[in-house]
Amino acid sequence: MKKVYAREQYCINCRLCEVYCKTNHSKSKDVVKAYKKESPSPVSRISVYGDSKASVAVNCRHCDDPACVKACIAGAMTKDKKTGIVSVNESKCIGCMTCLAVCPIGCIKISNTAVKCDLCSGEEPACVKNCPNKALVWLEVGGGAK
Amino acid sequence: MKYVVIGASAAGLAAAEQIRKTDSEGEITVLTNEAYYPYSRPSISYYLKDKVAQKDMPLRRKQLFAERRINVVTNSEVTSIDRKEKTVKCKNKKYPYDKLCIATGSKPFVPPMENISGKDNAFTFLDFASAKAIKAAANSNSKAVVIGAGLIGLKAAEGLVKICKSVDVVELAPRVLPSILDDKAAKIVKKHLEENNIKIHLENTVVKVKSKGRKITGVVLGNDKQMPCDLLVIAVGVRPQTELAENAGLETERGIITDCKTMQTSDKDIYAAGDCVVSTDMLDNSKKIIALWPNAVNQGIAAGSQMAGGEEIFTSSYSVNAIDFFGMRICTCGLINAKSDKYSEKISQTENTYKRLIFEGNRLVGFVLINSSENAGIYTSLISNKVDVSTLEGDIMSSPSLFLFNKEVRKSKLTGGVEV
Repeated sequence: MKKVYAREQYCINCRLCEVYCKTNHSKSKDVVKAYKKESPSPVSRISVYGDSKASVAVNCRHCDDPACVKACIAGAMTKDKKTGIVSVNESKCIGCMTCLAVCPIGCIKISNTAVKCDLCSGEEPACVKNCPNKALVWLEVGGGAK
Repeated sequence: MKYVVIGASAAGLAAAEQIRKTDSEGEITVLTNEAYYPYSRPSISYYLKDKVAQKDMPLRRKQLFAERRINVVTNSEVTSIDRKEKTVKCKNKKYPYDKLCIATGSKPFVPPMENISGKDNAFTFLDFASAKAIKAAANSNSKAVVIGAGLIGLKAAEGLVKICKSVDVVELAPRVLPSILDDKAAKIVKKHLEENNIKIHLENTVVKVKSKGRKITGVVLGNDKQMPCDLLVIAVGVRPQTELAENAGLETERGIITDCKTMQTSDKDIYAAGDCVVSTDMLDNSKKIIALWPNAVNQGIAAGSQMAGGEEIFTSSYSVNAIDFFGMRICTCGLINAKSDKYSEKISQTENTYKRLIFEGNRLVGFVLINSSENAGIYTSLISNKVDVSTLEGDIMSSPSLFLFNKEVRKSKLTGGVEV
């Protein structure tokens, strides 16, 4: 499946991926409104870790055998058979965060429910589109972190 | 091949689905004594407080069972297993099996209390039917008493406090959530629960109920204190549901004994998975019942695969728990109350947050996190992968991220070894 891959050597720690992820998952799709006006505040599903010397953006790996799906106690976390996208059904999610407790790379965000990367539902992901240094790429390369 | 699975919650469902993944031909029958297709048991407290609607309780869409040719039979309590004949018996019907999986889960434990039997307003809280009954009984005048401040009792209390006039929780242990919290963390949680109008009575128990006919009107505690009560929830704990296995002569000891990898019981054609099974905690090799969802699912997958001739095995059992009460996030894992010289700990604490990591030598073996559970799964992975923490680069006490690992490990975790 086509996934977002991070290339640490190109990351400049600008965090624009977070800005545009949050905006793309807002109601208004407007950067300023997403940050200042909307309630509940939209959540970025990608996070940059590290510092000015070394940094990298982390989002869901959409694992082949996802620990979060197996751990979900509400049947809210599923992996789509066709697209491979792992996503949360927010009306079923009870916000217990068991998924977060078992995700080995730390990509699930806490809000009223669990929130995570949905690969922008198949469109070119906003994080990739807005990365100024191609530190994030959207590729079909078989395999993927388990 | 004929496969029969007894029980349709986490382990039973996982087993049935894994059988189908491994054997596309065999006949799969899942028998449940409940009236519902597989649904989320943990969601019942959220149903009670109106956060999850009944339509969102099912774990799978109903048509998926037809597509996968998994025959779920509701309202079918298995009364016996005939190992010679290789059948299981429900009321009037027998189901033949070649391979059988017992995933009967837990049953609520009801401690002895004077005058408790035959009361209409005493409930346990484990399945959807009990949640519906409690919801129907509770109203804004109700004075609810919950016995037990474990996960089930406190979740019932959280749901009830929105509906009832008062909610009192009585717990025998000296702290709330005794199985998943240490003393300090439990104090923080107790204060938070009290601020949300739940009264907690520790080191106490209900010894007697007062009643008018079939209706409970009050409870008497161990210290002779009396409280009015018109809705009693009994949530002191659960016990593995092992009667079927025992009566069939399978090896049991508190729970059903299985091979820890294949989940095969003492009968080669019978497997068992989930809360009814004795697990071996990978962190201290102790035998215990690990009545937790991820454990049940992984055991179900292993059992299902093995039954159908596949190769999946169960590898790692340890406790991992995440739960919230009124917005307070609790996440714990591993050996949280280990008491021995071989364990050391690191703690950081503020008024509303608490982080305690427990180490055995250079290995992380447990954590307790309150309102500090960001990326907790990274800690869990350090525990389950038995990582030598002296090889880590970052400060383990700060919010964990992939920067705990060196550049190469980070890269392999993010790309799975693919050059991009």
